Amino acid sequence: MSELLRFDDVYKSFGDERVLEGVSFGMGRTDVEVVVGPSGSGKSTLLRCVNRLTEIDDGDIYLDGDSVHAMDVDALRRRVGMVFQGVNLFAHRTALGNVTLGLRQVRGMSKSEAREVAEANLERVGLADQADSYPAELSGGQKQRVGIARALAMEPELLLFDEPTSALDPELIGEVLGVMQDLAADGMTMLVVTHEMGFARSVADTLTFLDDGRVVERGPPERLFERPDEERTDQFLGRLDA
Amino acid sequence: MESVPLQAGDWAFVVENWPVLAQGLYVTVLLTVGSLLLGFLAGFPAGAIEVYGAGPLRSAVRGAGVLLRGTPIVVLIVLFFFGLPWPDVGGLPLGGWLLVPRFDINGQALLAATAALGLRSAAYQSQVFRGAIQSIDEGQMEAAEAISLSKVQAIRHVVLPQALRRSIPGFQNEFTIVLKDTSIAIAIGLGELLFRGQQLFLQPGQSAVIEVILTISAVYFVLTFATNRTLDLLERRYAIPGEST
Repeated sequence: MSELLRFDDVYKSFGDERVLEGVSFGMGRTDVEVVVGPSGSGKSTLLRCVNRLTEIDDGDIYLDGDSVHAMDVDALRRRVGMVFQGVNLFAHRTALGNVTLGLRQVRGMSKSEAREVAEANLERVGLADQADSYPAELSGGQKQRVGIARALAMEPELLLFDEPTSALDPELIGEVLGVMQDLAADGMTMLVVTHEMGFARSVADTLTFLDDGRVVERGPPERLFERPDEERTDQFLGRLDA
Repeated sequence: MESVPLQAGDWAFVVENWPVLAQGLYVTVLLTVGSLLLGFLAGFPAGAIEVYGAGPLRSAVRGAGVLLRGTPIVVLIVLFFFGLPWPDVGGLPLGGWLLVPRFDINGQALLAATAALGLRSAAYQSQVFRGAIQSIDEGQMEAAEAISLSKVQAIRHVVLPQALRRSIPGFQNEFTIVLKDTSIAIAIGLGELLFRGQQLFLQPGQSAVIEVILTISAVYFVLTFATNRTLDLLERRYAIPGEST
């Protein structure tokens, strides 16, 4: 199996606070990898290190065999998309405009070409009819789906999800998870940080339990949920899965 | 000092001499527009540099701002007029259309007043823009960078369009201040509205002091009011749908 992404002994501290302490694992193309762990365990930081929104202190991260630190950061970010907990839509642009910005400025598409691609991607997340709505006119779930379409339109090899449903009202979570599930079924390679255990269980190929900046345990979700090797994993998953 | 009562004849004097006030108004408008434009062109980049810049450039911009904001405008105008080597442009011919008869204006005084009011305005406008830029949620900048926009592209396409919208109320304020402060150019004898009014009521045997000043006040008020309303419309026109302004 050829690996698309590999964390190799990654360390990161913020001041005196050590956030990642020697994280190593890899994932293949079309894999859906879900990372779970308590707040402050370093999950989001791990994700942000992949597209270098955060720079690591030690170790390395490889994308398709190449160190992300040897790459031009813009080139790296063309290959790795990201969906944020806070969504971060561009408030002054419509749903369509949020998706076309990168297509126009980064991929150099013409206006009409960008529009076509953006519409196709909004369609993919079920929001073709909201193309002309502004973020403030959309529900939380719709916003996050636009966020996904914005990342998808760049045709990334890998999509990072940083707690995409944590800021949503409970009744809006399902529509976002549904879109993510469809993407997984379409073969998108996804690295997902989430607290949604149902999603982790049913969609993840591999589940990683991170605690105190270290990988405590990693394996197929059913094994981690049913027969974890580590007591810490059992405590964490058992509590959330109750 | 005895006050000068309002008299019907004095109002007639104001009407009769309106062309003189119109010439002053012409200079006031020119000075306001020139100063605000200079203030915008220098103030907007200055605000951006205060947020995104680093090192000596940012320190220089900050220092200049503190200096300009900390000096009385009369002092600035007098200093600029007498202290700087302005080119000898002599008299500039202005007016000559609509209800404004042709007249000459002291070019150096106009340049000095525009520079002083404009740079001081830049120092204040930079703070309006700085605040507006800083009010844009940083996550949007990250999202832009995550789809591979460069920092400059992200500022240009994500931060600036929103920061400009949020600057309108502060700019409204700044417009009002600059317009009214153009009257300070009377200190260097520039023929703006107040100066022209003074020329009228200082004529020997003239008693139309209050009438002239009330007229001038009304003109300032109408200009301020009309422009503020126009900027209100602009703010509504460019409001982001769904967001409260």
